[in-house]
Amino acid sequence: MSMVVEQAGGERADLRRLGTLALRAGSLLAFVAVLVFFSATAPFFLSFFNFTNVIAQSAILAILAFGMTVVIIGGGGNVVTGGIDLSVAANLGLCAAVYASLIQAGQGDAVAILATLLTGLTVGATNAFAVVAVGILPLLATLAVMNVAAGLELVLTENTVLSASTPFLMAINNIGPLGVPNLAWILLVVAVALILLVQFTPMGLRLQAVGEHREAARAAGLPVARYVAATYLVSGLFAALGAILSVAYLSGSSTGSAELLLGVVVTALLGVVFSRRLVPTVGGTLLAALFIGFLGNGFQLLNISSYWVSGVQGALILLVVAATSVLRRKES
Amino acid sequence: MAQATLTPAQHRRRRLPDLVFQMGLPLALLLVVLFFAWSSPAFLVPSNLESVLVNNFTLLAIVSIAMTLAVASGGIDLSVGTALDFASLLFVSLIAAGQPFGIALLAGLLGGLGAGLFNAFLIVGLGITPFLATLGTLFIGRSVQQLTTGGGIPIYLSKAKVPEAATFLAHGDILGIATPLWVVTILIVLFTVLLRATPFGRRVTAIGVQPAVAWYSGLPVRRDLVLVYLLSALVVAVAGLMLSATVNAYVPSSGNAFLLNAIGATFIGTTLDRRGRPNVPGTVLGVLLLAVVANGLLLIGWNFYWQQVGTGVLIFLVLVASFASRRWRKAG
Repeated sequence: MSMVVEQAGGERADLRRLGTLALRAGSLLAFVAVLVFFSATAPFFLSFFNFTNVIAQSAILAILAFGMTVVIIGGGGNVVTGGIDLSVAANLGLCAAVYASLIQAGQGDAVAILATLLTGLTVGATNAFAVVAVGILPLLATLAVMNVAAGLELVLTENTVLSASTPFLMAINNIGPLGVPNLAWILLVVAVALILLVQFTPMGLRLQAVGEHREAARAAGLPVARYVAATYLVSGLFAALGAILSVAYLSGSSTGSAELLLGVVVTALLGVVFSRRLVPTVGGTLLAALFIGFLGNGFQLLNISSYWVSGVQGALILLVVAATSVLRRKES
Repeated sequence: MAQATLTPAQHRRRRLPDLVFQMGLPLALLLVVLFFAWSSPAFLVPSNLESVLVNNFTLLAIVSIAMTLAVASGGIDLSVGTALDFASLLFVSLIAAGQPFGIALLAGLLGGLGAGLFNAFLIVGLGITPFLATLGTLFIGRSVQQLTTGGGIPIYLSKAKVPEAATFLAHGDILGIATPLWVVTILIVLFTVLLRATPFGRRVTAIGVQPAVAWYSGLPVRRDLVLVYLLSALVVAVAGLMLSATVNAYVPSSGNAFLLNAIGATFIGTTLDRRGRPNVPGTVLGVLLLAVVANGLLLIGWNFYWQQVGTGVLIFLVLVASFASRRWRKAG
């Protein structure tokens, strides 16, 4: 049936492809235009130091958004019934609190890292259990888990900043090879590894199949439940990884990590326009995170009030989504 | 897909989980009340119960009614906080500027309505999904508030400036029952009837269940959706006015605190309906559950941090119980 439709709508499909191309090229062009604009107007914007610094500062947001992206890829793009993990930011807060309190209790980095990763995975496993085994809507299940994680973080920190500083954490925060901050290197390595895993391995392709058409994937014999569950574990793991970077970057836990959530959601959704077929991809999310990072940085250098940042981000999502939905409407 | 005939045994097997599912929320509420009545002598006394209703229940209930309306129409409203804040901002700044209470009240309601109008334009006019549209509104709303308040400086009303009507709205009583309780009761009754017993309510439900069928059946889908988001914002604006009257101040972005609990209450409330649809009585019970637990945990000496964990775990358990029985019912 779909073939017939495709033949009949050949011209339309061409038009749509053109539109998609325009949007994708448009979003990349917008990215480049923003970079050029800031380079021309903002002092120090176009410098090696500033560029690598922005990449480093985007690392935590991007890594959380990677987890979110994997969940969306495996759960499908519908934000209410599809995959979403609202607990990532709270999970990061909890993991950072675990790390910092263990360091304060006199434990070494190895113990702290292990406990942090276990914490992140436990939160992820709770999400996976609720979504896959019990069948709670992801939006709802991860919302409840988010509340629990945020509460546990408060119990651990009593809403204060637990400082933590070890040679390992300082090394993360240092300048690495080629004069590029280690945070930026970590981001690039994680991104490349995840892109390879999701985009170029059979496992990654199966994951995409599960997200795009769950029934078809099930009919084809894929262990759908296991894949969906795995995405929440990955998201939990990435929250823990982000937490370690965050503890290094801030020299301790932070009380405001829940604030990250909306930025993460926006980054993962904005990433869609940087992909060829307008679907969530890890590469697209990376570009989106950098785009948002450069935007904030440029504003700062131009001395534009930071009050504008969230408004511009909001307008950006709406612009992007309106354009995509117009294209989708053409398709149907 | 209803089976044509069921054997009596199948009937029985089906009805039991059905009942467990639907009664889960009232049962949880009853158990929680009994538990706190047993564990704290200060719980089951009139003054405490009134405090639960006035302090923990009223505002969240009003916001949750708005959320229920949006979710019933198949959408969601993440910008409830924005409408609440706009209402509060306009109300308090006009009072501070010496305007009469009536004008400030009207301006507050219109301010909330403005956010709703923007949502309606994005969702109905541009075809953006409600989740993303209202997320964009939330972000833009945050910028607007930061820009108008010099980065988020609260506006306080001195005692002399607070009009008597505002004090009455927040702290007065009619026939011995606190004014906020009258307001929330009227809204609950109004919206229960609106959703359940009017053609508009049935159309909203139809749009929520089967948007395409609703459209093909000739229902005024676009007009009704505009109404849904306007009404939702208007109801939330009432909460904004009551909040400002209670604290005699406008605190930027304070509305967001209600967002997640409102979503939680709405979806917990869906368990009360046989078909799992959002409904106002269910939502109200959900809010009541959250309010009672928050108050009870405080009374038995849990600090604020453990309260959050306790509330989160409880919501999680209610969700697990009801979704597990829903799944059991489907399988049976």
